[in-house]
Amino acid sequence: MLTFLNIAIAGLLLGGLYALIAMGLSLQYGVARVLNISHGEFIMLGALTTYTLYSVAGINPLLSLAIAGPAAFALGYIIHRTLFKRIAASSESPAIFESNSMLAAFGLLFIIQNLALIVWGPETRGYSYLAFPVNVGGALFGANRLVTLGFSVLIGLAFYLFLARTRMGKAIRAAAQDPETAGLMGVNINWVLALCFGFGAAMAAMAGALISMCYPVHGVMGIEYAVIAIIVVVLGGLGSIPGSFIGGFVLGLVGSIVAYFEPGLTLAAYYGIFILLLLAKPTGLMGK
Amino acid sequence: MSIDRVLSKLWVPALLLIVLVLLATFTRYASAYTVILVTSILMYVVLTVSWSIFSGPTGYISLASAAFFGVGIYTAALLGTKLPLPIVILIGGLASSCLAFLVGALTLRLKGTYFAIFTFGLVELIKHLLLWYEIRMTGTRGRFVIVVDNNTIYQVMLAIFVLLLLTAYLVRRSRWGLALKSIGENEQAAAHMGVNVTLVKVSTFALSAVFMGAAGAIMATRWTYIDPYIAFNYFLSFMPVLMAIFGGLGHSFGPILGAAVFAYLEEVLITRFPYYYMLLFGIILLVVIVYLPNGLMGLVQTWRTRRLERQHATA
Amino acid sequence: MDTKDLSRREFLRGAAVAGAGLAAAACGPTPAPTAAPTEAPAAAPTETAVVTPVKDKIVVGMSRPLSGWNATIGDAAFRPIYETWVPMVNAEGGIYVEEYGKKLPIELIIYDDKSDVGTMTRLTEKLILEDKVDFLWPASGTAFIFAQAPIATKYGYVLITAEGGATQIKDMLPSLPGVFVTLSFSDWYQLPVLAEILAAKGAKTAYVSYIADLHGIEYSGVAGIEFPKQGIDVVGLKSLPPDIKDLSPVIKDADASGADIFCCFAYPDQNMPACGTSMELGYNPKAWVGGPGVNFGFYHAAFGPAVEGLMGFTAFARGSSPALDQLADTLYEGKPEEINDWWGHPYYWAGLDVWKAAIEKAGTLDQEKIRDVIASASPENPLETVLGPTWFDNGLLAKETHPGEIGQWINGVFEVVGPTDKATAELVYPKPPWPTG
Repeated sequence: MLTFLNIAIAGLLLGGLYALIAMGLSLQYGVARVLNISHGEFIMLGALTTYTLYSVAGINPLLSLAIAGPAAFALGYIIHRTLFKRIAASSESPAIFESNSMLAAFGLLFIIQNLALIVWGPETRGYSYLAFPVNVGGALFGANRLVTLGFSVLIGLAFYLFLARTRMGKAIRAAAQDPETAGLMGVNINWVLALCFGFGAAMAAMAGALISMCYPVHGVMGIEYAVIAIIVVVLGGLGSIPGSFIGGFVLGLVGSIVAYFEPGLTLAAYYGIFILLLLAKPTGLMGK
Repeated sequence: MSIDRVLSKLWVPALLLIVLVLLATFTRYASAYTVILVTSILMYVVLTVSWSIFSGPTGYISLASAAFFGVGIYTAALLGTKLPLPIVILIGGLASSCLAFLVGALTLRLKGTYFAIFTFGLVELIKHLLLWYEIRMTGTRGRFVIVVDNNTIYQVMLAIFVLLLLTAYLVRRSRWGLALKSIGENEQAAAHMGVNVTLVKVSTFALSAVFMGAAGAIMATRWTYIDPYIAFNYFLSFMPVLMAIFGGLGHSFGPILGAAVFAYLEEVLITRFPYYYMLLFGIILLVVIVYLPNGLMGLVQTWRTRRLERQHATA
Repeated sequence: MDTKDLSRREFLRGAAVAGAGLAAAACGPTPAPTAAPTEAPAAAPTETAVVTPVKDKIVVGMSRPLSGWNATIGDAAFRPIYETWVPMVNAEGGIYVEEYGKKLPIELIIYDDKSDVGTMTRLTEKLILEDKVDFLWPASGTAFIFAQAPIATKYGYVLITAEGGATQIKDMLPSLPGVFVTLSFSDWYQLPVLAEILAAKGAKTAYVSYIADLHGIEYSGVAGIEFPKQGIDVVGLKSLPPDIKDLSPVIKDADASGADIFCCFAYPDQNMPACGTSMELGYNPKAWVGGPGVNFGFYHAAFGPAVEGLMGFTAFARGSSPALDQLADTLYEGKPEEINDWWGHPYYWAGLDVWKAAIEKAGTLDQEKIRDVIASASPENPLETVLGPTWFDNGLLAKETHPGEIGQWINGVFEVVGPTDKATAELVYPKPPWPTG
């Protein structure tokens, strides 16, 4: 029983981070149709900013969430307004936009990573924050990891409510389902897509801030998380925010179950479950 | 027919012939390093053109190139010392092709992005399973590959390239090519028109993988040491896609031009501006995509249209 | 996506255009390294003239991971060393080469291999064939050395390695006469010392986790041999994939095994979370040993007082020798603690010292003569480096010249605790508990 609890909680702890990262990408990929391979770079920016604020100015990492998130939102919003909007305007079809924006996202990845290496240098960084054990029904877990789970779920839920309850959220959902009709209904589609891109970047940066509390951070950490996020978004079903959220936890749990028996196969299991699921349900968990 | 018209008809095949002759006799006069560099550029061209045989007309974006390339690499690592080189390359191509056939058959129901990311996941799955197997079962991670001299590698790569060009040309010209295009335009309509959609898709996918596998098998001999991370590097899945977009997806020669320019540009940047390579390369990608939404071939076409217009004006 | 109907003519025309592009790319002037931001132009290829050779600099080429995943390792390990060492030597006018009757300054040509082995092998041949560099300095990482060493050997270049080294290379060295490995590694001579000093303190059991790569397999394998030799049982063995995120199952498994020693033979991306997770779970074995990473200042910067008692691999500490104290001052004084590397830095520095000493001794830039000088160095006839008298033992830096093998964080300093005759402090066993709060 204790073993079971251990595995389940470990899976949730990891799944929470994956869910948050994937939700961000889901907005960019599922709604704005940008396969944003540079998603991980926003995670890295959030993580290194949080590290710097903590180690230089002593700012609480949780407070950094409120700094990194809005800053990344602004950055993402501007990038969409200046870059992806132009690409959308000059691309002849949605398919061409998807391929062109993928190339542009690679360009962004290269630029951001190079700038980060110049600003922060190559060293691996880390800090200790809330590194003490908490007893959860007999199973021990680090307080910082539990805090990351709490905040991941909180941010995820808050965003879900935002989508479900507010006008802006409705516009985003409409755009996700059918951009053309949404445009006809008077939704300013460019504005909504830029918002989605901004929110996606904000979630990535906040996830990065949370990651920095538990894991080492450095300038080239991003791509690994971006890859996981892409897998989760497709696993959950394109355009489905709840799907990405659930998909993140599914991946986390699968990982922790396999890690218990054979850590060497954890990542193989991620991709194995992803492939099996798509074979069984070709549009992902919550896809239409 | 005026001399002008004859010339305008002949210059293209003539130029093509000249280029091929130049490339074929390259090792006689080019410097040793130029041969190595062109081999590497040809590798990217082969990957990109193979990729576009299937993904170009059908619109199915495959991210499995690294898997097919990697199978070729491992074939060379495992069999390189035991069998003659041409056999190893052949086996590399065929093994990749078998894998592609399997993947193609598995992914029939997947569309669009789901297909793309499925193929991407597959590369990662193979990499991690292989890594686990190598460590648990063989107790190693990396393997040494037999060393082959650089001119031979170049000639083999050139041979693969020429065969690939011929194949791509024949496929496009044939009914098969038409069937592929009709799948890309509307898969259901194609099926109604009597196209065996499954057979055409799977066999084209398998065909395109032959060349990637063969290229991997010969390239491994240049790299001399490989492991699952080196062999199944997912950047090599993205590269053909990026290079094809860079060159212009809508044009038959976009992939060749895109891969050649992209690879050469990268070489210039990593050697001339090593500390700012990524920054400059990223900026170039953004500029190209914003100002040349149809890739480099879009630019070539614009020039051509302008020239024709000018001719009209003077005529 | 192809919207045009493709006629044969168009095919040929396109092929010609693309082919011309390819040919232009191929035949176009290959870039001279003249525009590299921090370097001056490369030397013209030198003709080894018969009577009075003329030469005004020594050109050294390197393919380094300036971008990509390997940049975090390469830029923290060898890069700060050559970026300090070269200006120091050049400030004195360079290296005296008898053949030319004067001091020649060093000039570097550096390319970015993007952390890609294929690119590295290509750039290495570019440096040799096109830039015709006088010397090759090493690429970063064990796998990269494996791929680079045969190329250097093929062209008759001497290669003194920096980051990386492995038992596997020992078997290769006889076929690589120009390759010299400077860094210490598992059975050269870290783990025998680790087993010995821990056994002396009464450790009886060990739990070994290791990263699923060349490095991890080697260390776990050697630990499986060296620990039992000293009467220590390996009671648990777990491999970790390189991108593993959650280490709590491993730490809990290790805790359940009750082993005296916990080993995490992996890189910072794994052994930093392993340390964090141990702390969070209150797992406090009598000895906690980590792989590369523990030896860096950033470990202390990241974990603060929690590093107390953590063990890792090292070479020196302040107090090892006056020369090494001075090295530490040169490299670290007045700089952020993060950049300190107590394991690799002195070896990389010594590698460059060996190279300089060999050139001076040989009086020429001839690779073969320099190789012979390095290979024939011995305890009786050593080369002088920052490590003191230095020589190689079948291509490996002789273990007698190592200033230390095993380190431990004691009062915020990464002290040498083994071998005992070279220790700067005594091993603390069992390690102190994690700080609370």
